[in-house]
Amino acid sequence: MTITKSDIEHICDLSKLNLDDDEVPIYLQQMTDILEMIEQLQSADTNEIIPMAHPLDMHQRLREDIVTETNHRDIYQKNSSHVEEGFYKVPKVIE
Amino acid sequence: MERFTVKAIQNMLSEKQISATELFDLYRSRIADYDQSLNAFITSDIQPNAAYMTDDQDQESPIDFALTGIPYAAKDIFCTQGIKTTCGSKMLENFIPPYDATVVRRLKRQGAVLLGKTNMDEFAMGSSSETSYFGSVHNPWDIERTPGGSSGGSAAAVAAGLTPIALGTDTGGSIRQPAAFTGITGLKPTYGRCSRYGMVAFASSLDQAGILALSAEDTAIFLESMAGFDPLDSTSVEESVPQYSQYLEENIKGKIIGLPKEFFDGSLGSAYEALIAESINSYKKLGIVFKEISLPNIGYSVPTYYVVAPAECSSNLARYDGVRFGYRSQNIEDLDEFYRTNRQIGFGQEVKRRIITGTYVLSAGYYDAYYLKAQKVRQLINQDFARAFESVDIILGPTTQTAAFKLGEKIDDPVSMYMNDMYTISANLAGLPAISHPIGFVENLPYGLQLIAPHFKELDLLSLTHQYQKVTDWHQAVPRLLQSSEGND
Amino acid sequence: MHWETVIGLEIHVQLACDSKIFSSASTAYGKEQNTQASLIDLGYPGVLPVLNKEVVMMAIKFGLAVDAEIAELSIFARKNYFYPDLPKGYQISQYELPIVSGGQLFITLDNGTEKRIGITRAHLEEDAGKSIHDKFPGASAIDLNRAGTPLLEIVSEPELSSAKEATLYMQKIHQLVRYLKISDGNMQEGSFRCDANVSLKPKDNTELGTRAEIKNINSFRFIENAINYEVERQKEILEQGGSVVQETRLYDSDAGETRSMRTKEEANDYRYFPDPDLLPVKIDKEIIETIAASLPELFNQKVDRYVKTLSIKPVDATAIAKNIELAEYFEDALNTYNGNPQLLANWLITEVMAILNKDKIEIASLSISAKSVSQLIQRIDDGTISSTIAKNIFSQLIESEMSVDELIKDQGLEQISDTNEIEQVIRIVLNENQEQRDQYLAGKEQVLGFLIGKVMQKTQGKANPKLVNDLMVEILSNH
Repeated sequence: MTITKSDIEHICDLSKLNLDDDEVPIYLQQMTDILEMIEQLQSADTNEIIPMAHPLDMHQRLREDIVTETNHRDIYQKNSSHVEEGFYKVPKVIE
Repeated sequence: MERFTVKAIQNMLSEKQISATELFDLYRSRIADYDQSLNAFITSDIQPNAAYMTDDQDQESPIDFALTGIPYAAKDIFCTQGIKTTCGSKMLENFIPPYDATVVRRLKRQGAVLLGKTNMDEFAMGSSSETSYFGSVHNPWDIERTPGGSSGGSAAAVAAGLTPIALGTDTGGSIRQPAAFTGITGLKPTYGRCSRYGMVAFASSLDQAGILALSAEDTAIFLESMAGFDPLDSTSVEESVPQYSQYLEENIKGKIIGLPKEFFDGSLGSAYEALIAESINSYKKLGIVFKEISLPNIGYSVPTYYVVAPAECSSNLARYDGVRFGYRSQNIEDLDEFYRTNRQIGFGQEVKRRIITGTYVLSAGYYDAYYLKAQKVRQLINQDFARAFESVDIILGPTTQTAAFKLGEKIDDPVSMYMNDMYTISANLAGLPAISHPIGFVENLPYGLQLIAPHFKELDLLSLTHQYQKVTDWHQAVPRLLQSSEGND
Repeated sequence: MHWETVIGLEIHVQLACDSKIFSSASTAYGKEQNTQASLIDLGYPGVLPVLNKEVVMMAIKFGLAVDAEIAELSIFARKNYFYPDLPKGYQISQYELPIVSGGQLFITLDNGTEKRIGITRAHLEEDAGKSIHDKFPGASAIDLNRAGTPLLEIVSEPELSSAKEATLYMQKIHQLVRYLKISDGNMQEGSFRCDANVSLKPKDNTELGTRAEIKNINSFRFIENAINYEVERQKEILEQGGSVVQETRLYDSDAGETRSMRTKEEANDYRYFPDPDLLPVKIDKEIIETIAASLPELFNQKVDRYVKTLSIKPVDATAIAKNIELAEYFEDALNTYNGNPQLLANWLITEVMAILNKDKIEIASLSISAKSVSQLIQRIDDGTISSTIAKNIFSQLIESEMSVDELIKDQGLEQISDTNEIEQVIRIVLNENQEQRDQYLAGKEQVLGFLIGKVMQKTQGKANPKLVNDLMVEILSNH
């Protein structure tokens, strides 16, 4: 699978990354190398193999429906520089 | 300059040869004197009080001070309450978590004292600790070389005697490979053995908290306190935690170690092969029996990992958008531009590369061919191990292809860098515990050997390594950096 | 060209749990911004989700109530996209292997027939936070209290053929989740949200047309208007030879039209993959059986029981059972009542519902207890008071702390059933209203009501109306 410049641009759109113009060819080459390496997977015979999502054959533990969290807003919001009246502020979303 | 083991420190403290404060100051001044040449630490000005700050959610009072006064360092990927946690990234340069990672909280409860936060590859992505925003880490054995990664800072700090022991994380070999490059012992426990809560996620199904130490014994002492079920982590396992340090002398005679033929296909350099052969002999003298086995799909480890890990990380890193924490550009009015600029400036190249790779392999049209395929191949690898463990107790192999490479050597060639992980990755894919311990030197650079065990058989790894370390002294060799230092402590 | 409307509804139901789906923060509505957002809800580095048991139980209840299949193993998946109200940059949802699949619901059409509507699936996911766009100039304000609230997304098959059917289906689901007590269904507070996928196709075509999605419909009235508007809009486009754009549209209730939303998710590729922080949810047969055994009586069963066991008229049974809280009030009253349930039902449907409608309150806010109502009807039944007096007492009960019997005693409201006493009053009334008396005797029978009314007036409504009627007729006939 060859990756193109427009593929990279699309990926950057999805993952909200910016690449400088001069970075793009470098990433393109590196991605091409990486994808070539990954391609080796295709030669593995995975007929009738179930994909493994977890190393352990475990099931999800369930938690009791009890509220234990209390309000720590002021502490948590210390890590953001753009907070006003307890809201997080972002550039205006246009819908 | 002497490198004190945790065991030795416990004796020194209990015999009142030194106080906990004196000990702390000792390491603090070593860091001040030697870390410039290593850059192993990102934060090292922690006050001991800070380490004892009470967590208002932690209701239990300490019941057993197993680690009272023992200083340790933590890879800067572990959230430490009130103490900057950067993950080696500009994105979190000023991030101060309001909570401790569970493993940190447990060590704190046992009286261990946090010395500092160690440098690392950015967001744990790398095998050389060169991708850190805070500069590369240097190997105390040769400062022009890498200590390995991504837990390079922890490894270098332990090897250089700047901390007796350190926490690291291992997703594809990030504890074991640096341990091998710096001549120390590094353990990656079974997936689910130690809690991942508060450990910044890179690849959730592969990440595990672990230990870099001067000996298996020290590793065992810390593992006892760190490991165990955590209700805050759905992937943590309700498996009881043995008192590892009490069983290191268990009888290992007659244990069978498997040698995968795929690991010994002649591609290793002869000097390295010789070291491995020598250590096999040492193990034989301890009564271990060896057997050839096959892990037929092991060659797919690297491509499998480089699909799964980036896929998970591309999603795990989506939360770094500058809104609630993290790097945030000012004066941007468009939301899309806001996100992109924050992430462009906040993330380094390797992180971006992995996000791009991960996004690509999950994207429409490619999911089946890449991600789904990789998860199936992962199952194949898991099955190979399960089959092998039916006839052997432990599997042995190299940790790395070579000793530490030079800084700058591989940083522009990602695939070549990725191939460094070829021996270590498979244990992460199968969730198996694995340890690396030093077995000698090639051209004055340390080299390590890897043991892999079935799930939750950390004790086997530790007892074998411990008994090997009783009859060898590779793990006691001190880096040149310290040998040439003058200094009385 | 005859166009057929094809509608599928996606309904998001907020589950009535105390804590969130993956964190132990509270789900209480209306709290100050960001005071109920825990580290997990905020997507801080290193935090991890742990699944709320009650959420799973509620999903199972729903699945059983719609005859669906409960997955033995279901998986949570990440839906990846960027938006300020989505802290992690992904929503934990379900993609392949949802907890509930298949299922059905029956709606009763206007002509009385029942139509089966298939339910494709119902899956669990976390809600996002809220954005307020007009609070700060040039910025959007984000409140993450709602982030992590558990949602059950219920997806219907595209088997609804009109706005009316869609409304009926939406109402049916609304009633069901309230019956099951898995949600309060409060649309104003956002506990019950509906998206409609609408498309048209030429009659007899099997292939579906391009659909538009109308988002966030939060009232029954709006859904009918919105869909009708949309159908007309699409019809116009198609009849002019154009094609419908697959897009998301918002319903503007003031303008009465749907508008295209700026494409926020159109080009999005969500890159679903199983969430590695969560393990597959295993549901044993035993759990399903336990929940099945404890399912509350549902609407159809209740109506059936009211009709068959309590002999209540079907139309009245339906009117009461329609609202689970009203039904519970009724059943509560029945506990202390030993008369004819129909009489109690009548009172509920007339007097009680009148107050609820007038004051625009829910039955839960009514200050008259079910026990008081049953006492009141009991007193009518045993002749202590007339129904007219009962109405008087009923309106007093809203404010009064006194019981029915205390009010009757206190105000001397007992019915007058003494024939002599009534006869006396009748004779006085006839004397005072000779014109009307003569009219009656001349054959104008309607005047009887007037005369009886006068007797009731004179007795402050306390005379037994039946007795008054019978005695009046007798006296007049003997005149």
